[in-house]
Amino acid sequence: MILINKDTKVIVQGATGKMGSAHTKRMIAYGTKVVGGVTPGKGGTKIEGIPVFDTVKEAFQATGATTSVIFVPPFLALDAGSEALDAGAELIVLITEGIPPQDAAKLVAQVKAKGAKLIGPNCPGVITPGECLIGILPGSIFKSGPVGMVSRSGTLTYEIALALTESGLGQSTCVGVGGDPIKGMGYEEALSLFKDDAKTEVIVLIGEIGGTAEEEAAAYIKANVKKPVVAYIAGQTAPPGKRMGHAGAIISGGKGTAQSKIEAFEKAGIKVAKTPSEVAKFVAEASKQVARA
Amino acid sequence: MNLYEWEAKKIFQEHGIPVPPSHRITKPEELRKVHLGYPLTLKVQVQSGGRGKAGGIQFAQDLKDGETKAKDLLKMVINGSKTESLLIEPRLKIAREIYLSVTLDRSRGCAIFIASAEGGIEIESSTNVVTMPIPYPYHDYVGRDLAKQIGLTGTLLNKFADLANKLYRLFESKDLELAEINPLIVTDGDEVLALDGKITICDDALGRHKCFAGWQETHMLDLSDREKRSKRAGLNLVELDGNIGILCNGAGLTMATMDLVKAFGGQPGNFLDAGGGSDTEKTLEALEIVHDNPKCDVILVNILGGITACDEVAQALVAFMKRHPERKLVVRLRGNNQDVAEKMLAESGLKLYPELEAAVKQAVEQSKVPAGAGR
Repeated sequence: MILINKDTKVIVQGATGKMGSAHTKRMIAYGTKVVGGVTPGKGGTKIEGIPVFDTVKEAFQATGATTSVIFVPPFLALDAGSEALDAGAELIVLITEGIPPQDAAKLVAQVKAKGAKLIGPNCPGVITPGECLIGILPGSIFKSGPVGMVSRSGTLTYEIALALTESGLGQSTCVGVGGDPIKGMGYEEALSLFKDDAKTEVIVLIGEIGGTAEEEAAAYIKANVKKPVVAYIAGQTAPPGKRMGHAGAIISGGKGTAQSKIEAFEKAGIKVAKTPSEVAKFVAEASKQVARA
Repeated sequence: MNLYEWEAKKIFQEHGIPVPPSHRITKPEELRKVHLGYPLTLKVQVQSGGRGKAGGIQFAQDLKDGETKAKDLLKMVINGSKTESLLIEPRLKIAREIYLSVTLDRSRGCAIFIASAEGGIEIESSTNVVTMPIPYPYHDYVGRDLAKQIGLTGTLLNKFADLANKLYRLFESKDLELAEINPLIVTDGDEVLALDGKITICDDALGRHKCFAGWQETHMLDLSDREKRSKRAGLNLVELDGNIGILCNGAGLTMATMDLVKAFGGQPGNFLDAGGGSDTEKTLEALEIVHDNPKCDVILVNILGGITACDEVAQALVAFMKRHPERKLVVRLRGNNQDVAEKMLAESGLKLYPELEAAVKQAVEQSKVPAGAGR
């Protein structure tokens, strides 16, 4: 497993909002150690049985947490992320959708300068099944096992996790890095963690049209990752020039096509599944090979 | 959202970036009121690129020539983008053209300058281009650095640096996705001007820039009615040619569902991503938008609830079926609050498909029998 485990303590920024409180409840129900919430002006109160603080600094000091998950509205997210970083956050999971990309870029610059980790924005979060869930992923469709997953899409991650789980293939950790063009962790950072993780035997990479992150990941895998990788690319039938939901999912100037990504993976010796169920099939085959070796 | 050239230039001017004198017209006869001297340049105002190649820029020798050309230009549609107006400028004598833009680089995760000592070019296919990551916080020396890197010297180095600094500050203060001057010209009188400009504003940032209030409504000229409704409701719709309406939550899942429909021999009629956390009201509007496509024979709903609660979707489905009992629906619904949703839908008699591929196959099959043949 990577990034989070049963001992990870988490604070929730925006814990008293509609989304924040609903998912604080879900995370606690899953077994995540949610130790505090942060809402300026509501310090001293409680939500879902956990203490609420006015500032991240107080929350970290009082609880010993160094991980924060953020549910604040888009225009407040840069400030919330900066606050967490300056309070010493080592891992920030930024769920909020619709953050202006320039704000994301400013946050990413600070994250790099501090050597911290940022997952998101506009992401479903991260889960180490059976141990810790941070974000909005539906915990019930994941189960513990040897497959590491990294994805740009939220609900498609659920779809493929479901296909894996129903085929008896559990997951070590699943990371949804988010669909925005400017974001913290990308494929490479997640792959670099999975490649050295003892529990992860097979890696699933879920990509989509737009940008060149998949092509860069293919080159990285070829040079650095010995474990088998199975890829899936969404948007194989997307028309060019149209933004397919995600701000980052657009084929522009002939770049960012599914075809180019699939070719890059195949050239790097990575199997590309055509459907979510085929991902499970390829992972099962790869697992058998790992077991034999 | 792409702005029209005339809007971009107005914004440039407000931020101290010089532009040629100009006049905007919406009728050919308005050319009579333009006193910029001949020859004139007539430029169609469209939200699409590729204007020059498509013949959207013409020169007029006199009023009569201008009126004839303006009449045709105003009717032009370029890459599906309708002409909103014409921008009239004097035809300038150009000594030199330069390219300059600021945008966000997704691989580096920061803003970048793109510049070239050759302007008026297609930047994607040009080789003589400098790409420079922009440090945050910003300093004025960055503009001079850029000028140096593209080989400028003397007064032009300073003039260009000043414009680059102004363009970046505009980009940052207005939350732009792209600010482009192509070409930036040096006239035979050594004046430096933005001859053409492109600004893309970030839809996600509109809410914090009062200066752009209401602009979304005035930039919908190229959208269909259903696309307009989607935009207003915060839904992501892309119209396609087939007869299977697709409604999912999440961009990746919607794309994957669309790919599966095609793989199983069906034709997607649209891509509609209801986004994360859509409630009953938003989901109902999404269903109505897909339903209103005259080409649509069957609606395929695929929801995997994370931040979206399945019971909210189920409630929308129940309301929709009451309004449109004749509409063929294939629904797959899983995730958070699935049990509550299943109960609600069991009472309504709608069959649910737990497996994605089974649901897609069913929708494809339904799309091949005429509409109105029952659910």
